[in-house]
Amino acid sequence: MNPQSQSSTPSYTINCRMIQEAAALERLCQVVRIRGFRIATMAVETAGEHLNIALTLEGTRPIAMLQSQLEKLHTVAEVALGSNSVARSRSA
Amino acid sequence: MNGAQHILDAFHRHNISTVFGYPGGCIMPLYDALVDDVGVEHVLCRHEQACALAADGYARASGKLGVCIATSGPGATNLITGVANAHRDSIPMLVITGQVPSGLIGTDAFQETDVLGMTLGIVKHSYLVDDADSLPAVMEEAMTLAQSGRPGPVWIDIPKDILLTEVAAAPAPTPAQPTASCPDLTDAIALLRAARKPLLYSGGGISLAHAEDRFRAFAESSALPAVVTLKGIGNPGKHNPYNLGMLGMHGSRAANKAVDECDLLLVIGARLDDRATGKLDGFAPNAKMIHIDADAAEINKLRPADLAIRGELNAILENLTGALTSKPLTIADWQRQCRTWHTTGGFSAADNEEPLAPITGPAFIRQLSRIAPDDTIVACDVGQHQMWVAQHYEFDHPRHHLTSGGLGTMGFGLPAAIGAQFADRDSTVINVTGDGSFMMNAQELATIRRYRLPVKLIIMDNQCLGMVRQQQELFYANRESQINLDDNPDFVAMARAFDIPALHIERTDQIRRGIETILAYDGPMLLHVAISREDNVWPIVKPGASNTDMIDETRRTSKANKEQVA
Repeated sequence: MNPQSQSSTPSYTINCRMIQEAAALERLCQVVRIRGFRIATMAVETAGEHLNIALTLEGTRPIAMLQSQLEKLHTVAEVALGSNSVARSRSA
Repeated sequence: MNGAQHILDAFHRHNISTVFGYPGGCIMPLYDALVDDVGVEHVLCRHEQACALAADGYARASGKLGVCIATSGPGATNLITGVANAHRDSIPMLVITGQVPSGLIGTDAFQETDVLGMTLGIVKHSYLVDDADSLPAVMEEAMTLAQSGRPGPVWIDIPKDILLTEVAAAPAPTPAQPTASCPDLTDAIALLRAARKPLLYSGGGISLAHAEDRFRAFAESSALPAVVTLKGIGNPGKHNPYNLGMLGMHGSRAANKAVDECDLLLVIGARLDDRATGKLDGFAPNAKMIHIDADAAEINKLRPADLAIRGELNAILENLTGALTSKPLTIADWQRQCRTWHTTGGFSAADNEEPLAPITGPAFIRQLSRIAPDDTIVACDVGQHQMWVAQHYEFDHPRHHLTSGGLGTMGFGLPAAIGAQFADRDSTVINVTGDGSFMMNAQELATIRRYRLPVKLIIMDNQCLGMVRQQQELFYANRESQINLDDNPDFVAMARAFDIPALHIERTDQIRRGIETILAYDGPMLLHVAISREDNVWPIVKPGASNTDMIDETRRTSKANKEQVA
C-alpha cells in the first residue's frame, strides 16, 4: 500500500456493545469490512451477556453510514463514536 | 414435543400453512414430524435454490412470511442465492436448515458447512441453536424479526440432535406490535407547498410496509407527478394520469426528464439504488429531497436528504394525505408539463400491423398486458424480457409484479411463480422469462406438474443472453462473448416431457391467439415465443453514466455514435 495514501486515511474509534451470541464478532466485522472500513485495532471484553468492543477503524467513507449499519444489527445494543474520531488522520 | 415438533407448533401458532423445502440427512427429524402434521402443506421443489425463490415469490405475492427448509451442507448452500435475493429486496423469509449434530460441528463431518458464518452478509439475522430449550424463543423472535421494520430473511440453523431433543420450555409469547406514531410532518408539508415542481418517487418500501392503499390515496389526492423504481411499479395504479413510470437505466425518458427538472423530490420507500439514480452527481440536480423510509440506515446513505423522516409509512402517508386534501397543491403548470413529457417520452411500442412480421418483445408484452386479467401476477426473470415487462406491462398493484430487483437473479421467475400460485390459488400467474433464465431453474416444471399448478409460462427466446449481448454491442464494440444459446433445447418438447402442453409462435399475427390460448387453458401451459436476436431494450443509460445521457434506438446506429456512447 502507498504509505502516503495510508497516512491520509481518516481514522475513527467506535465503542460497540452487543449481545454475546454465536458469530457475534464475525457479524460485526463483516459489516465493517463490506461498508468500506479496515480494523486497525480491536479490543473485546465480556460483560455478562454482552460484549464490549472497542474498535479503531480506518476508511474514507462517512463513518455515520457505518454507524447506522451497525445499529441495524439485531444484537447490537449501542454504538458510540469516539470523540477523537473527527476525520483524524493516522499521521496526525 | 421435540425440537422438530416444536417448529411445526410455531408454524401453526403463526398461521404458516405453506412451506417450501427439500429433505436430507440432518433435517430428517423435521420431515418425520411433518408426516403426522396435516396443518402445514410442504411443497417439494426440485432444487433448494427453487425452494428459497418460491418462498420469496409466496411472500411477495401474499405479503406474508415465506418459509423454506433444507438440510445441512449442500442443501443449505443451495439456498444461498435465494436467500440473498430475498435479502436484497427485503422480503420477509424464515429459513430453517438442519446442521450436523452438535458434537460433530467443527469436525468436518459429512455434509457439514459453516452456514452461520457463510451467510452473515445475506440475512437480517441468523441463529445457530445450541440448546433445545432456547428453540421456542428463537422461533418466535425470528418470525417477528423477519416481518418487522424493514423485513428480511432470518436463518435458523439447527443441529440434528436439537431437533430430536424434548423441549421443556413453553412456547414463547409473541411480542406485541409497537403502535405506529407519526413523526412531525410540518416541515415536509411546508417544503411541498413551497415547491413549484415537486415529484413523487416511490419504491418497494410501499408494499413492504403494506402501505399500498394509503400510498394510492396519497398519490391520487395530491396529484403529484410520480415516478417509480423497478420494485415500485404498480404503486400509483395503472389509471393515475400523473404516473410517468419507471425511472433509471431503462426508465422512460419522461420519468428521467422529470427527475432532472424537479425542484423537490419526495422519496418514499426507496433506497436510491444506482440502477435508478444513475450517476449520483447528476441525479435530480435542481431538487431538494425529502426522504421517508422505515430504515434509518437508508437515509443519507447515498445522497444527503434536506429533510429525513423515519417512520411507519402508513401513518405518514395518511397524515400527508389529510394535509394535502384539505389544501391542495397548486402545481398545474408542472402537472401539464409532466403529462406532455409522458405523451412524448413515455414508453411506447407500436403494434406491428404486418401480420407476418417477427415478434418484438415490447409489442408482445403490450398485448399480454391488454389481454391478461387485471389481477394477474407476473413473475419475471432477469434480462431484456424483465425490462420489457417493467416498461410495457401496466400493473395496477405492486404485488402483481414479482421481479428480482436488487440481486438480479436469473432463474427467479419460475419458482417465484410457483410460490405466487400457492399464495393465491385463484389468480392468474404468469412467468415471463427468457431462454437463458428459464434454463436456470427449468427442473421446477416437475413441481408445476406434481401440484397441477395452472402457472402460465412464456419464454421469450432470442437464442442468446440478450441483455449481455446488448451491452456488448453498445459498450464493448460489439465483441460478443459467450452469449450464444442457439443450441437451446426444444422448449415445446421439453414442456411436453413434463406433461405440460406447449405452443410455439413466431409471427405478429400469432400473438393474440397464443396468449388467449394459454390463458384459457385449465392448467399449466407454455408459450414459446421466438423473438429476434438483435432486439434491444430502449432507452438505456450506460452503467455509471447520468440518467440524462439516455441512449435510444436512433442514436445507436452509427459507429461515431457508438464511440460517443463509449
